[in-house]
Amino acid sequence: MYLPDFDYYTPESLTEATGLLVRLGPSAMVLAGGTDILVKMKNGLLAPSALVSLKNLHELRRIRWEDDRGLVIGALATHNEISNSAAAQERFLSLSEAAHKLANNQVRNRGTIGGNLVNAIPSADLPPILIALGAYVTLAGPDGGRTVQVENFFTGVSSCAIEPGREILTEVVIPPQETTGSTYIKFGLRRSGALAVVGVAAAVTMDGDTVRDARICLGAVYKTPTRAVQAEQVIIGKRWTGELLEQAGRTAVGCCLPISDIRGSAEYRRDLVRVLTRRALKRAITEGHV
Amino acid sequence: MSRSTRTGPKPAVQVCLHPGLQEPAEKDYAVIGKSKPKIDGREKVTGQARYTADLKFPNMLYGKILTSPHAHARILSIDTSEAEKIPGVKAVITHKDVPALKYGISPARWDENIFCIDTVKFVGDKVAAVACLDEETCYKALKAIKVEYEALPAVLDPLHAMDEDAPRIHPEYPRNINTEIHQNFGDVEEAFRKAAYVRTDLFIGNRAYQAPMEPHTATSIWQDGKLTVYSSTQSPHYFQYYIAREFGLPMGDVRVIKTYVGGGFGGKLEPTGLEFAGAVLARLTGRPVKMFYDRAEMFAHNRGRHRQYMKLTTGVDADGRILGVHADFIMDGGAYTSLGIATAYYAGAMLTLTYDFINYRFDMHRVYTNLPACGAQRGHGAPQPRYAFEAHLDNIAKELGIDPLELRLRNARRPNTITPNEFVVNSCEMAACLEQARKASGWADKKGKLPAGRGIGVAAGSFVSGAGYPIYRTDLPHSAAMIKVAEDGTAATLYTGAVDIGQGSDTILCQMAAEAMGYTYEQMKIVAADTETTPHDLGAYASRQTLMSGAAVKQAGEEVRKQLLEMAGEMLNLPSERLNVRSGKIFAKDDPAVALSFEAAARTFFVKKGPLVGRGAYTPPRLGGKFKGAPVGTSPAYSFAAQVSEVEIDEETGEVAVLDVWDVHDCGQVINPALLHAQVHGALYMGMGESIWEEVRFDAKGKILNPTLGEYRIPTALDMPRMHSILVPSYEPAAPWGVKEVGEGATIPTMGCYRNAIFDAMGVSVNSLPLTAEKVWAALREKRKAGGEDVWDPMACECFLK
Amino acid sequence: MQAIADKQGIKRYLINLTVNGDEYSPVVKGNTLLVNLLRDELDLTGTKKGCELGDCGSCTVLMDDKPVDSCLVLALEADGCEIVTIEGVAQNGELDRLQRSFIDNAAIQCGYCTPGMILSAKALLARNPHPTEPEVREAIAGNLCRCTGYVNIVKAVLEAAEVKE
Repeated sequence: MYLPDFDYYTPESLTEATGLLVRLGPSAMVLAGGTDILVKMKNGLLAPSALVSLKNLHELRRIRWEDDRGLVIGALATHNEISNSAAAQERFLSLSEAAHKLANNQVRNRGTIGGNLVNAIPSADLPPILIALGAYVTLAGPDGGRTVQVENFFTGVSSCAIEPGREILTEVVIPPQETTGSTYIKFGLRRSGALAVVGVAAAVTMDGDTVRDARICLGAVYKTPTRAVQAEQVIIGKRWTGELLEQAGRTAVGCCLPISDIRGSAEYRRDLVRVLTRRALKRAITEGHV
Repeated sequence: MSRSTRTGPKPAVQVCLHPGLQEPAEKDYAVIGKSKPKIDGREKVTGQARYTADLKFPNMLYGKILTSPHAHARILSIDTSEAEKIPGVKAVITHKDVPALKYGISPARWDENIFCIDTVKFVGDKVAAVACLDEETCYKALKAIKVEYEALPAVLDPLHAMDEDAPRIHPEYPRNINTEIHQNFGDVEEAFRKAAYVRTDLFIGNRAYQAPMEPHTATSIWQDGKLTVYSSTQSPHYFQYYIAREFGLPMGDVRVIKTYVGGGFGGKLEPTGLEFAGAVLARLTGRPVKMFYDRAEMFAHNRGRHRQYMKLTTGVDADGRILGVHADFIMDGGAYTSLGIATAYYAGAMLTLTYDFINYRFDMHRVYTNLPACGAQRGHGAPQPRYAFEAHLDNIAKELGIDPLELRLRNARRPNTITPNEFVVNSCEMAACLEQARKASGWADKKGKLPAGRGIGVAAGSFVSGAGYPIYRTDLPHSAAMIKVAEDGTAATLYTGAVDIGQGSDTILCQMAAEAMGYTYEQMKIVAADTETTPHDLGAYASRQTLMSGAAVKQAGEEVRKQLLEMAGEMLNLPSERLNVRSGKIFAKDDPAVALSFEAAARTFFVKKGPLVGRGAYTPPRLGGKFKGAPVGTSPAYSFAAQVSEVEIDEETGEVAVLDVWDVHDCGQVINPALLHAQVHGALYMGMGESIWEEVRFDAKGKILNPTLGEYRIPTALDMPRMHSILVPSYEPAAPWGVKEVGEGATIPTMGCYRNAIFDAMGVSVNSLPLTAEKVWAALREKRKAGGEDVWDPMACECFLK
Repeated sequence: MQAIADKQGIKRYLINLTVNGDEYSPVVKGNTLLVNLLRDELDLTGTKKGCELGDCGSCTVLMDDKPVDSCLVLALEADGCEIVTIEGVAQNGELDRLQRSFIDNAAIQCGYCTPGMILSAKALLARNPHPTEPEVREAIAGNLCRCTGYVNIVKAVLEAAEVKE
């Protein structure tokens, strides 16, 4: 296999990077870890005229807790860096666990959180837990920066709110919150190197046995990751029971529209949404860690 | 040697007994039976081992093949002019530039061309080829070749390939029937009439693919009208034979060399477009041409597992003893024959080995479809019928209320018997394998006593240790070997045509040579699988090399030993009959103080007589009956295996977790225990992949949907169960030192074993492969519905999305 | 990074990288992949191509101590990096404990996955000197093997972990 030809740039600053993108136009693309882009280029799905590599923007690799903002993850943090990060493990262990479920070790050493979001495939593993935890992204452009809630970031299959040829995703922020428990369940067809057939993330805030707040996000069952708001409504304000969680699971099925493909039929995926939503909620409620 | 007195046609053959191969009372081997480290281990762990794609030659070009995007189409025109203009493109060829002689690995069906002339017959069929300065230019050149096609209706469903109105794929084969088999032994109808219970089941297999880690590569070089081909091959001989035939060259002008091969599993047994087109490109350009398939092209080239549709009817008596079996199968052969005729015969032939019954009828249709051609994959036609039969037996066991393992014991083949299709079975420890599997797995404590969602299942199988007949009709010995002892005796080189594709034949053949000579393994060297320098061997397939190549090596070693001891006798002034040699030391049998080193004797031999050389050859005896297809399935020896697996099912998602697998094998004398168990692990692993995950899927136009190692899921290190590989002692009189095969035997029972464990766990039968979570989920839902349960319908809920 | 255009207008770049402790300054194109730079330019053919899409791990190398699929790394991205390939594992002809353990435990069959496996395992033992069996399996889950069923490979890695460096 081969890659088409392209020009290559290694800007030394974010300003230089966005300036390059503007100058080069929309056929230029940002290169982070390359594990998605290079595959698409080899398969003939992408042929950018130029790649703007972020490899020298070292400040975009950092993962740290800031009291006023929360867990700030640089866009270039790799999945293994997130998985191994002490700050991530301490503050949002479920994110760290989710990052560990992607692909395999080699891909996790190159693939980045920024890339995972911008690539925007429906079965991506980080968006559901980020959405359940209320995360937002910072986008840097030539005219300044803006933030977008991850929940609003995805606009369709493989498309997101970033302005191509102008903006670069620089960080993902999970704000401080009262969440008492969260988790991400990935159902794949083998235990490594598998796309999610269904992914369910749940984050709850409990008052004893009562659900004060709940956020459920489904992955791989719609053109974008999708909040199961109606399922959340089933349990918010109530004392949890197994039956209630089953009810939430059944309601969550109404929040998805999976397709049938070589990995599974729509009917199977729907039933998995029911089962995994119930299980994710139970785990988030009873296992206590965020 | 007593033979079973059960009725059946009188055998026309004798058991083959090698002279001097009585089972030794005491087995005190110096070299075999020991887990010697692999002779190529160091090369492989340091990256020094060069596989075909790693080889570079001066002035070398790269080549690739243009393939068809259509499943079935007429070629209207091919315009290569644009491609030829691209800088770096050195040659572009189509069918006009190559011999039109049809070829194929099965002589009864030569149905392939180097490039399609009139029609392309599957997505991936060969249309043209280019030779360029680098890989990248090859891909660009292929894109620039303009081919005009007229799409034709395609046959994509094997169950409709034989319909009267189905498009005909090959003009010579009406109703797309590639191979049709009808075999009938004893009286099946009578058996069914007498039976206490008769049952019919239908099972469907999966189209799987070997997916070796190393893609096919071939590099062709011409010199003075003689061709050398380096290839990732399982058989330099078959490649040499068919390449010579295609180009009208004497065999001696074609040299095929195997360097290191990264796995074959049956898919690298026949020459591909890479060898044929590469040879033409190399001749045209006058430069070496390296051709290769990338991973997607590998999937399209295929030659993997046939998908079989298997209808089985069996009649048993009240005790569960099998009285008769009718196997009625259809197999999807894809667009060409490949090894498929043999596969079709093996599918039915092997069913008679494992269990002892006399009345057997086998009907088979191998059909052409406009899909990638299927060939021989580990187990060659036997694994899916094995899955079907083992599942079928468990259904029978359940119906009769008999423990499935006990049922198998009642029917297990015994040693020194003959199958209804006239396979002579010498050693056979099928019953011992089942007993041992029962013990090791804790079957008695688990069957029927496991917690909800857990199950335990058993299956058995058997396989040939080499095929009784070669792939094309020839009187050549199947294996030959030469050993040359170094002039000062400090090393000995084994020359063998046998092919190490990772299974370790180089290692064990050196062990066998050393054992036969009385030498040491550590001083052995090997030159293998080069048709110019090594003696003929049919290659690595049908699990033949330990027995057949080993027999030739043993003979060569014994010839060296004889000459050596005669010389030693002269040197010691003793008759050679009083001498023995072991681990490089010659000694008098009755007085070990009288000693001489192998090296000293060898050196003196060279000084006085010239090179100390031993030669050996092996041909199996004439085996098998006289009915049509009788040769397929014949073998000098058969291995037997029983597998038990324990699974845990997630009752809501259908996910199957295999916890433990016990494989108990009867494979005769073990040459290298570590390598043998490693082969069991690997064979079981492949059986497991095909059981749960692997399936090649197509879109509505015959294009593969999952030609990647991400979506064609082979198990990762995290997916494996605990594997327990156990052997039962046995000795095969028709084999050197009593050896039998192991490389394919452990693939065969696995699919049935897992299905049976799932059946035990959940009471649901998954009747098609692979046994995916979704299929288990669906079967569980059906069972609950059938039981009157109110099962929630995920399609019928309120939808909140637009 | 300085680029020079060739006759076709394709830019070529000079990069500096260390491979197995040796410094190299090859000139590469934008679309040159690290795996091809290693195999074709530096003649280090121990790194293999099995799928070219990051699914099989045959092309695994260590890039600044981390196992990566070199088929998905541009040579340009490796500028300034330290690469270790299988050829760099043995030191002065002395086999590494992992290499010895692979041989001693019959963990090699066709050998095609072996270079990638050893590098993944080597990185594992560097960051986790006493891994559990699940941790070993996790570390090599991105290295597909078609021959061994991983049994002896896992055994070899666990045994190597017991050996003092």
